[in-house]
Amino acid sequence: MAANYWESTQRRHWQFTRQQLEDLRKKLEDEDQNLVQMYPLPQVRHLSIYFNQQIARLGKRLGVRQQAMATAQLYIRRFYSKVEIRRTNPYLVIATAVYLACKMEECPHHIRLVVSEGRTLWPDFFSSDTSKLGECEFFLISEMSSQMIVHHPYRSLTSLQGTFSLTQEESALAWSIINDHYMTDLPLLFAPHIIALMAILLALVLRPNTTGIQSAGGNAGTIASAAQTALSSAGQFKPTGEKQGATPRTKVQKLANWLAESNIDIEAIVDCTQEIISFYEVQEQYNEKLTREQINRFVKARGLDK
Amino acid sequence: MSLTSNPPSSGGAGPSSANAQRTQTLKRSVQQAFDDPADRGLGPNVGYQSKVRVIDRYKVIGFISSGTYGRVYKACGRHGQTGEFAIKKFKPDKEGEQIQYTGISQSAVREMALCSELSHPSVIKLIEIILEDKCIFMVFEYAEHDLLQIIHHHTQPTRHPIPPSTVKSIMFQLLNGCQYLHANWVLHRDLKPANIMVTSSGEVKIGDLGLARLFNKPLHSLFSGDKVVVTIWYRAPELLLGSRHYTPAIDMWAVGCIFAELLSLRPIFKGEEAKMDSKKTVPFQRNQMQKIVEIMGLPTKEKWPHLVNMPEYSQLSTLSTSSHPKSGSNLEKWYYSTINSHSATSNPSSNASLGAEGYKLLSGLLEYDPERRLTAQQALQHPFFSTGDKVSSNCFEGVKMEYPHRRVSQDDNDIRTSSLPGTKRSGLPDDSRPVKRLKE
Repeated sequence: MAANYWESTQRRHWQFTRQQLEDLRKKLEDEDQNLVQMYPLPQVRHLSIYFNQQIARLGKRLGVRQQAMATAQLYIRRFYSKVEIRRTNPYLVIATAVYLACKMEECPHHIRLVVSEGRTLWPDFFSSDTSKLGECEFFLISEMSSQMIVHHPYRSLTSLQGTFSLTQEESALAWSIINDHYMTDLPLLFAPHIIALMAILLALVLRPNTTGIQSAGGNAGTIASAAQTALSSAGQFKPTGEKQGATPRTKVQKLANWLAESNIDIEAIVDCTQEIISFYEVQEQYNEKLTREQINRFVKARGLDK
Repeated sequence: MSLTSNPPSSGGAGPSSANAQRTQTLKRSVQQAFDDPADRGLGPNVGYQSKVRVIDRYKVIGFISSGTYGRVYKACGRHGQTGEFAIKKFKPDKEGEQIQYTGISQSAVREMALCSELSHPSVIKLIEIILEDKCIFMVFEYAEHDLLQIIHHHTQPTRHPIPPSTVKSIMFQLLNGCQYLHANWVLHRDLKPANIMVTSSGEVKIGDLGLARLFNKPLHSLFSGDKVVVTIWYRAPELLLGSRHYTPAIDMWAVGCIFAELLSLRPIFKGEEAKMDSKKTVPFQRNQMQKIVEIMGLPTKEKWPHLVNMPEYSQLSTLSTSSHPKSGSNLEKWYYSTINSHSATSNPSSNASLGAEGYKLLSGLLEYDPERRLTAQQALQHPFFSTGDKVSSNCFEGVKMEYPHRRVSQDDNDIRTSSLPGTKRSGLPDDSRPVKRLKE
């Protein structure tokens, strides 16, 4: 339900195993083999980075809050787990997801404004006809079975900040890791509190002042092993006396102890950590121009912008 | 759109279809086929098409009611779905010949999302939502009665009280539903007898979440969205005094008003709504506040510390008070005269048995200070429910007479087409059409 993740439609209908997600996507591709062969596309994570950039551009023009943009990204991810992307105009889907997410997150924008901003951003791929966006909204809601209430990790992060005495920088880093995870499949694979804990762990391991996210890709292996060491200690260490320091090292220790005493699935956090780190590696190879061209090609060739 | 699978040649099969109608059917079908992107030769760019069609899945029995949101129909399933259904069809934004996609209203989006998420025996159950032909159809379980109807029935032909066991059961179930909503950060915001459904087996179900919304993460103040909320008779005093902070307490005030109405069979605070002026500023609802003060006395800052911070606080001093100002509440007097009013006729189902605990519950719900008002959780634990007869989960238990069934009109049961007053009927073939049309 709305307040309860465990009863939510998110957990019941939109949380998959990797295999299930793979099967869903395979099925879509199999149904449209010709299309898939005719219009090759970059890997899903690169598409997601592109979508993320476009959402950010639109969000900036509309003055949309981060949480609504996160909701929009999740809507898009859900939608494309059910609909072959080459059958849609991704720019229209992006704008529609933002339009709908803003209504759900209580910061609505008029359809005409969203359409006119979309038209400004993507003049060659976006119709000025508002009914196109209205129609796409039906499509989006229908594919999501009207399940539009979304649980984000931000709330868990906020409530755990104090527990782990995160500094402002550490919180900000964890926050931006959560922002980044919407470019991966993680929100379709794990519960929001698992994501939040992964972000906190990584933020502590990455040490915001010395290492930035951008450099993460370079030494991803190191980070992964540091994170894993921290986590593997969770099962073994018992609280060792009361050494209450504020260094990240002891904070990681505290997190490990806290996890050991909780019922939280540590495996899942390890899994999550690896996924986001491998995403940061993949991000290094992202080619915006190529991604844009490949998307634009099928949109134009198939007349999806009309 | 879906008319492509229903070619015009098969139209006009109904016995009632006159020539003119047939022509119109044809015209419309042709028009729609023309408008259907699937037929425009754009290749893959097919427009949105619903996977299920409402008339394929449901047989409309008749029309129930209409409101600002749209219309509600009674229906049964065509594929062996158990029970009956109420299908709420949202009014498309633009009325007229050609319905356009104009973007779904925020309140419809909220209702769709919330109803998809909620699941509780005391909240009306959503079966499915069908998005078809630019219209939204929300399919709910059907409830034979609602509190407005039940209250009305007890005023006919003469006033006779609702049995105390029924009142108690209704209140318990209603509070149970509220507790669930509030625990899940949902404010209903429009609780009133017409929105409280009762099934034929006596289960109470909170309905119409058209104004409901989440209050756990208001990005903007809850006030900024919709300025006026809750039918005026059930509107909490803090809202009347201009409060911008919505809390579950506003629902609890409405529950208190409903409790009072179950006892007296008329709205306890039946004020007249002051209309919004041309500048769209919300006026102070003087008359409504006056009605409350007449029974509850004037609120005081001793009993309601934040009272002085209310935007319309200064208006309170301009209200006329009864002969004994500041003498406090007449609610107790109101309560006892209400529950004893029928006992003179030695009616065995007198509400006198609700006793002092009934008054305490009522006054706890109609508490001026929203912070001190009973929460749904507290109200459920009130001695009112643990003293006297056990609360039944069937509010009709032991009740001899039967309440009249919901009126279902055969006037307009063509759910797919002419669902709006003033719009033209298109005469589509529809086997659910009654033989005898009342109006054509």
